[in-house]
Amino acid sequence: MAGAWIRDKPATLEAATKEAAKLLQASRMPLIAGLGTDVAGARAAIALAQQIGAVIDHMHSAALLRDLDVMRESGMMITTPNEARLRGDLLLLVGAGLVETWPEISARLFEKSSVLNSRRIVWLCPSNGNTEAHSDIETIGNNPRNLPVMLAALRARCAGHAVRNDTPDLRKIDALASELPQARFGVAVWSAAENDALTIEMLCGLVKDLNATTRFSGLPLAPGNDAAAVQQVSGWMTGFPVRTGFGRGDPEHDPWRFDGVRLVDTGEADCALWISAYHPMAPPWKREVPIIALTNGLDCFDRPPAVAISVGQPGTDHDSVEYLAATGTLAFSRVTSRANVMSVADAIGGIAATLPVPSPC
Amino acid sequence: MLTRLAGGHIVDPANGRDGVGDVWFRDGRLVAPPENGRPDETYDVAGMIVMAGAIDIHSHIAGSNENLGRLLLPEQRYAAFEHAGHVTTAKGAWTTAETGRLYAAMGFTTVVEPAVLPEHALHAHLELADIPIIDKATLTVLGNDDFLLNLLRRREGGEAVRDYIAWTLATSRALGIKVINAGGAAAFKDNVRSFSLDDVVPEYGISSRAIFKALQKAVHELRLPHPLHLHCNNLGIPGNVETALATIQAAEGLPLHLAHLQFYGYGKEGPRGFSSAAARLADAVNAAKHLTIDVGQVMFGQTVTISADVLRQFNARNGARPKKWIILDGDSNGAGIVPYAYRANDFYNAVQWAAGLELFLLINDPWRVFFTTDHPNGAPFTAYPDILALLLDRSLRAEWMTKLPKEAIEVTTLPSIGREYTLNEIAIMTRAAPARLLGLRDRGHLAAGAIADIAVYAPFKDKAAMFRNAAFVFKSGELVVRNGNVLHQPFGRTLNVHPARGRAIERRMRDYYENRYGLSPDFMTVADLAIGRPDPFETVPCLS
Repeated sequence: MAGAWIRDKPATLEAATKEAAKLLQASRMPLIAGLGTDVAGARAAIALAQQIGAVIDHMHSAALLRDLDVMRESGMMITTPNEARLRGDLLLLVGAGLVETWPEISARLFEKSSVLNSRRIVWLCPSNGNTEAHSDIETIGNNPRNLPVMLAALRARCAGHAVRNDTPDLRKIDALASELPQARFGVAVWSAAENDALTIEMLCGLVKDLNATTRFSGLPLAPGNDAAAVQQVSGWMTGFPVRTGFGRGDPEHDPWRFDGVRLVDTGEADCALWISAYHPMAPPWKREVPIIALTNGLDCFDRPPAVAISVGQPGTDHDSVEYLAATGTLAFSRVTSRANVMSVADAIGGIAATLPVPSPC
Repeated sequence: MLTRLAGGHIVDPANGRDGVGDVWFRDGRLVAPPENGRPDETYDVAGMIVMAGAIDIHSHIAGSNENLGRLLLPEQRYAAFEHAGHVTTAKGAWTTAETGRLYAAMGFTTVVEPAVLPEHALHAHLELADIPIIDKATLTVLGNDDFLLNLLRRREGGEAVRDYIAWTLATSRALGIKVINAGGAAAFKDNVRSFSLDDVVPEYGISSRAIFKALQKAVHELRLPHPLHLHCNNLGIPGNVETALATIQAAEGLPLHLAHLQFYGYGKEGPRGFSSAAARLADAVNAAKHLTIDVGQVMFGQTVTISADVLRQFNARNGARPKKWIILDGDSNGAGIVPYAYRANDFYNAVQWAAGLELFLLINDPWRVFFTTDHPNGAPFTAYPDILALLLDRSLRAEWMTKLPKEAIEVTTLPSIGREYTLNEIAIMTRAAPARLLGLRDRGHLAAGAIADIAVYAPFKDKAAMFRNAAFVFKSGELVVRNGNVLHQPFGRTLNVHPARGRAIERRMRDYYENRYGLSPDFMTVADLAIGRPDPFETVPCLS
């Protein structure tokens, strides 16, 4: 639904854009958060952040940064969803949240491959109900709190080390440890939404160890709201992932300092541009700051935001480039009949053009 | 608007000019000196050197693998501030915006990203679209992809390979085709740990040699302006000169470009079993007139190696400096990202540095040797001015050699080489020859009709300083750089080719993707509308 509001009063797009620019202009420490948007929206948001010295953060930064923490501390071996689907003769699924993160996982990964005769699937500590439709998936453990110690034991057993006798499900873990090196192209699959960084690091270490003798790789599942695409755009435009600030001109990255919720709740940020184009959604922080909301409608807000501009859903209401979970790439989707809505990029473009400072891009 | 650059030293080898004169341009194109023409503006460039904008044929500036490198190494960027005012490392060239600005400041106006995986082509083009000032192009990587390997296994004719290449170029909007360790990435998925020219990809029964030759022939027959761009097997391994020499033999007189040849210039001589074999390689290149090469010069300092040669990167992972790395098994090639610091006191790194310079200096035809560091693999492109200075001045080379391990220099021929490049040769290597190699008829020279991409350098005794900060750079006639400072950031375009192809290939690719991946191949298509900037592409004609 097209629409713009100042407080809860309907306003023209022009008036709402002007009001948004005024609020951002007056802000000493603006935050651009949520970032649930496509590539064009992310480009516009990051360019605006650069223009006004704002901080950028994504609603799924915590999950993004858990994977990234492991990658940039010690590295990673990863593969694509297509290679996992085609070649993964042993899929090691790890923990909860896989189906929730990638609803098509069953159709894309669990079905028969066009090049493999058979595929073995083992799932460590799945969520309840995730394996019900798949009787051929072996599960080990059901308490996610045991997952870190089970993975540690699995890695130790693969390396031929002793482990404590009271390790949960030790017999099954021993059997799995002798099976993993026999895989021809094994793939470990996880979602950072439900695993902590140390668990992910242990798993990635196991994958590296296995490559001493065979081939094994990892498939981290990307969180929703196009977080992976926004992360990519942030990478090329700033050299950093999200949680990056332009307050001092050049981009600076700090996962703690530029945590959007923290910035608002401590009173550091005094104005926020909140973007959620995929779902009508209010920001998670508790403190009240003037919010410019780019989402769909006002219903999701307890208190009306200072300014709201309805935006369409990328790929559904307007053309977009988004991260495609099936391929792990950025891909274009063409919408045959564009809905009568703004895109995030349009809305931000309007605000940026109203500001007196010229846009850098 | 009519502009005149007055009284500069024009170095324009494509048109045989090397002397004082004027350059005129109007509406973005060079024009002949108009009779009684009065310029609307005149730049007095007396005493300065005027060349066409430089063209880089091989620099990894954009794409999914480069971006993984950024995400892997956030600390690289912070380290840049330690070198305030003198950006010589990858650290400063890390974003799309900085990439365009830093290239332009050196007088470069066209750059080729040489390793785009077809499935990530849109990503690469989105990054390229955010690189300001310069024009861009890509090479798409084939040679480890199941579709091609199956064509070869089934001995389908050249037409099938040509149609497939043409389809891939159109889908990924590329200027040419590159092959990277042909078959090596596919073999690595089957747990093969070393892969040479006559090794065979398991399950396909096709050798690396057969793959590259099929592609080389098809690229030639398609009349693509740029010959097949080949990254050979066994990169970085002692004794790999034999692989490179065998590959040169295998080219059999058809055009072929060998990328970053320095990394294949290694023998097994000397006390450490590692020596420069660049002199042998240079002899072979000199004799093979159908061959072009770029050097991939190594310079000392921190960088990150980013390569779709996933097998080589896997084998290099334990040498990572700092100790972290990414290995990606992709749909076809994949990638390895391994940070690395080349050290002046490291025997091996010093040999590599010398081997690159030997290739530059011992290959006698500047039309066939190209100026690269394989950015960022040998060094970031910001090191170019220092390399140009080394080519222009043998005493500078001698000074550098005194600071390197003596035993390393002893396993090279560098101290015996007195050659110094002339400015005319530099202009051939960085302007005229790249334009010819890529089929860009209106670039790389200063004759009427050419695009007004012009670099003007003020003469300094310090040649590196001269090339680092151009006095003036014009992009399509617009002044974009003055004294190394960027004034404007217009956005350039991306060059690509569109060879004709048979109609059946569309259907065939659709069926193949549906059967193999359960997907439409449309996700790989790079549409103009997806780029987010007006008129993002320019078509380069195929050879007649």
